[in-house]
Amino acid sequence: MLNRRQMLQQAGAGFGMLGMAGALSSLQAGEAASTVPHVTPKAKRVIFLFMNGAPSHVDTLDPKPALAKYEGSQPSGELYRKINGTGYMPSPFKFRAHGESGVVMSELLPNLAKHADDLCVLRSMHTNVPNHEPGLLIMNSGNQQPIRPSLGSWCSYGLGTENENLPGFVVLCPGLPVVGPQLWSSSFLPGQHQGMSVDTNDMQVDKLVANLNHPNLSRAQQQRQLEFLGKLNRLHREQRQGEAALDAQIRAMELAFNMQREASETFDISREPAHVRDMYGPTTFGQSCLLARRLCENGVRFVQVYYVSKNEKQPWDTHSDNNRKHRDLCADSDRATAALLTDLKARGMLEETLVVWGGEFGRTPYAQLDKKQDYTKAGRDHHHTGFSMFMAGGGVRGGLMYGNTDEFGMDAIENRIHVHDLHATILHQLGIDHQRLTYRYSGRDFRLTDVHGEVVRGIIS
Amino acid sequence: MRTFMPTVTTCVSLLLLTIVGAQANDSDFFEKKIRPVLVERCYKCHSEQSEGVKGGLLLDSRDATQRGGDSGAAVVPGDVEASLLIGALRYESFEMPPDGKLPAAVIADFETWIKAGAHDPRDTPTGETKSAEIDWDEARRFWAFQLPEPKPVPKDLPSNAIRRPLDAFVASRLHKSQLAPNPEATRRVLIRRVTLDLTGLPPSPEEVESFVSDESPDAYERVVDGLLASPQYGTRWSRPWLDIARFAEDQAHIVGNNTSLCYPNAYLYRDWVINAFNEDLPYDHFVRQQLAADLIDPKDKANHVALGFIGLGPKYYRRGDIEVMAEEWEDRVDTVARGLLGLTVACARCHDHKYDPIPTEDYYALAGVFASTEMFNRPLNEKAERDKDGEAKKPEEAIHIIRDAKPQDLNVFIRGDVKKKGEVAKRRFPQVLCSAESLSLAFENGSGRLELADSIATRDNPLTARVIVNRVWGQLFGKPLVGTPSNFGSLGERPTHPELLDDLAVRFMDSDWSLKWLQREIVLSATYRQSSDIDTAKQVVDPANTLLWRMNRRRLSVEAWRDSLLSVGDQLTLELGGPSIDPQDPDQRRRTAYSRVSRLELDALLALFDFPDPNTHSPKRNDTTTPLQKLFVLNSPFMLRQAESFAKRVTATASQDSERVNVAYQIAFGRAPDGDELEIGMMFLDGCDTADQLARWTQYAQILLASNEMLMVD
Repeated sequence: MLNRRQMLQQAGAGFGMLGMAGALSSLQAGEAASTVPHVTPKAKRVIFLFMNGAPSHVDTLDPKPALAKYEGSQPSGELYRKINGTGYMPSPFKFRAHGESGVVMSELLPNLAKHADDLCVLRSMHTNVPNHEPGLLIMNSGNQQPIRPSLGSWCSYGLGTENENLPGFVVLCPGLPVVGPQLWSSSFLPGQHQGMSVDTNDMQVDKLVANLNHPNLSRAQQQRQLEFLGKLNRLHREQRQGEAALDAQIRAMELAFNMQREASETFDISREPAHVRDMYGPTTFGQSCLLARRLCENGVRFVQVYYVSKNEKQPWDTHSDNNRKHRDLCADSDRATAALLTDLKARGMLEETLVVWGGEFGRTPYAQLDKKQDYTKAGRDHHHTGFSMFMAGGGVRGGLMYGNTDEFGMDAIENRIHVHDLHATILHQLGIDHQRLTYRYSGRDFRLTDVHGEVVRGIIS
Repeated sequence: MRTFMPTVTTCVSLLLLTIVGAQANDSDFFEKKIRPVLVERCYKCHSEQSEGVKGGLLLDSRDATQRGGDSGAAVVPGDVEASLLIGALRYESFEMPPDGKLPAAVIADFETWIKAGAHDPRDTPTGETKSAEIDWDEARRFWAFQLPEPKPVPKDLPSNAIRRPLDAFVASRLHKSQLAPNPEATRRVLIRRVTLDLTGLPPSPEEVESFVSDESPDAYERVVDGLLASPQYGTRWSRPWLDIARFAEDQAHIVGNNTSLCYPNAYLYRDWVINAFNEDLPYDHFVRQQLAADLIDPKDKANHVALGFIGLGPKYYRRGDIEVMAEEWEDRVDTVARGLLGLTVACARCHDHKYDPIPTEDYYALAGVFASTEMFNRPLNEKAERDKDGEAKKPEEAIHIIRDAKPQDLNVFIRGDVKKKGEVAKRRFPQVLCSAESLSLAFENGSGRLELADSIATRDNPLTARVIVNRVWGQLFGKPLVGTPSNFGSLGERPTHPELLDDLAVRFMDSDWSLKWLQREIVLSATYRQSSDIDTAKQVVDPANTLLWRMNRRRLSVEAWRDSLLSVGDQLTLELGGPSIDPQDPDQRRRTAYSRVSRLELDALLALFDFPDPNTHSPKRNDTTTPLQKLFVLNSPFMLRQAESFAKRVTATASQDSERVNVAYQIAFGRAPDGDELEIGMMFLDGCDTADQLARWTQYAQILLASNEMLMVD
């Protein structure tokens, strides 16, 4: 009995005193891929800024003067659906080269232009289909149907966690995109790799994270309660020699207690100085980007920020009034994204953080008109055979414009990058060979890139 | 140009698994090291599928590879330097692949391979083998394709370990490893275990005491029979089946307020399943009804809700496209094949199955059945508003089932590409499961669904009974006999106790496919009744408990756990069936099996505790342990409500704290607290900085609910 007493006394010290990350890192290790890294990692984490609805490449990152010359001409090539407009529509926005590298961007992105030498613009993206659901799914899971783990889940599975007190994959999502949670599903991967979705409409910590704090017990009261629980669990455990699963449960409870404090701090952007909050802009997207930085700073592996709102599932889906809408959307996104880059750089984090910006596809270089046929309110339709994204940090080459579409921005023709290639490259930067990160399910080994994907060597520094 | 091949599955990467000890002269080496590289880096320009074959060189069969192209033999077995392929890979002669030299290690693999004789099993190009080339007699010799037969029960074993025939099979294996089974669990442990297993609920303190004090020899049997007769039994056993059926009440994509992809009456299918379990509907009928109730008895409309098995499956976006429908057919084939047969037939959608004798035509022969079947919003009743095709207009007036469409045989889509049509695959059953006589029998009756159902739900099918017996075993032991319950193929695991599995499967069929018979047989066994204690000496011999020298200690499913919490607080309502509920609602007192299941957004509580994603068939649940789960336990309104209810119950039952602790343990765990538990419990209560009786007891009650003892079953 003496031993048991001693044990109980020692057990009392369990809560609130543990140095978490190192000592207890084995909790989930059994469920993460064990062979990583396959290659030398350049980045430790990813922030994927998702312009939901698909931004127009010819208005932002891919200048096409030929559209002015051939304004109104019928588009070339095979179109996925009948064109309901007047043909090619030039961008009204002025493009200019920026930085020492001369990366060309439109006037819609004035703040990002100051980061031109850090940007790696991918002008030759293409994907399989021009529809939101399958497009979102393939961009986020490598497959058009909602049956595969997401990119972030694969990364979490591949890398394991850097901070036991926080989830490895967090999705900041102030509203639900079409398809919704399938975009951050762990599918058949173990559940801890599921993206934790956070509605960032209300930035109060207890609104952001469910069940983070006890509604009426103080921390001291709860600590006392949990010390009691620890004793009971250890008594229970003592009578069940060799049952390691019970240790995992006990550890998870200790971690949860610590997570309460850690998450309360990490998710709390009010702790940021006013000038930092201002820099990101007062919008939901801006403040979400700031939160993304805080999460990454504290060891979250993969943060995705969806540009979406409660009322609008896909703001960038500018079927009408493309120019005005892009002006507004870009103003917000440009400010927040540039602030994120500035902030990461100032903290010395940019080198190890891969920032990705883009949507599920691009928009047509030709116009789309509604019934009123008002050209001043023209929109652009979905476009998947050529579009742009950009990356920064995380070991990619800054000041680079990679790949090209044809003279109208219709098809990616040079150094084409498929979504699978993008995924392979993201994994590569994290030290993961996309062909070797596999998970056995349903009698075969699955991977993010299926049987596809090649690392885009040309953009790696 | 990339071809658009939506779900060419990652069979190739399978080959990338490191198999330690693969020899350079065997197929493993070729499959692991050589084929994937050829497929991924060479076939694009050097296979029969290439749009323009370069240099006259084909690398997609052994003969073509050795014959070589315009410049000569690409591979000369045994002679690295004479093999042009090597020079090309080294960038010495040609520079191949042109977009980047392969890593040195990969080139070294090719050299090793050629040196060892260039073993190459590829008789014909790119896996386009015809099924005629499968040696069917040989293929059918694989264990899973042989009909199960009754096995002689091992004799001469210590009799105390034998209560049922299955025990003899277990004891015989243990005996060979010089292991003895654990002694029987205590009565308290046993009644908690069997009650949770059969009804998903903990026993009441009265039930525990009555069993513990019952000295009659059939006390345990009577408990078991009572549990099997309880209507709560069906509620508990519906869930594993609904995991298999990837049951859900909506679709993954719902735009705006469009409710056409929500199925408010889907619960009727769930209730049909519950009822079928409670009635002990023979499993063969259970399967037949879910595939073809409408064809078995067109007039028995009430029974047609069983068709929700297929009808409530996923619908994908842009159903007008053949590509999308091809994916839906894959879902149906996959759910039926993995769910009912333990066969990964869907692997054969793009190419012949690489490991099992399932040619592509077999996949399309099954897919044709579902291509000849359509989703159908059947009006719920006479009053329902109908469109011109007789379908209900409003989701709330419909049950979403299936009906026959125009029968059609599909062409094989070469490599899964709907634009490349191969030969017509007549609808019929996978050939490896057919006898020589039934082999030529195509399905000719409408869609062929009933014939499909009959081909599955029959003693002539070697898999059906084994697969369900294995799943039930997995539910009761925490680990199935075949570790891959939805894959009995060659890449699946072999049964740990093949004779036991076969013997149970045969007697299960002899017992009119009665699931209650099967469960009773298992839970009455000495093997099931063992204690779960870990004996270190035995653990050294068999650390994974493969031989079953003990019962596995298990974590409760989210359903059993949440139901236990409600039950302990005396909050649970036991009514059966009806519309789905929100399991996180603190006021919600119904069992967890009635939770609404959404493909669009699975309930966060369910998702947190390993409830499977209902977008696809789930072979078995994961068992993850995360801090986020514990945050729910610590702080969620649901949990706090249950703690308060439990506290109220306990404080109302007794007046002294020590007495209350005793009562709390009886209710929560079916036992009295030991001295230490009582002491630290009293210390906790005494030290609470609140005078409020209920607040104090709520804090205490929450900890019992949060404890591992509540979550685990011994």
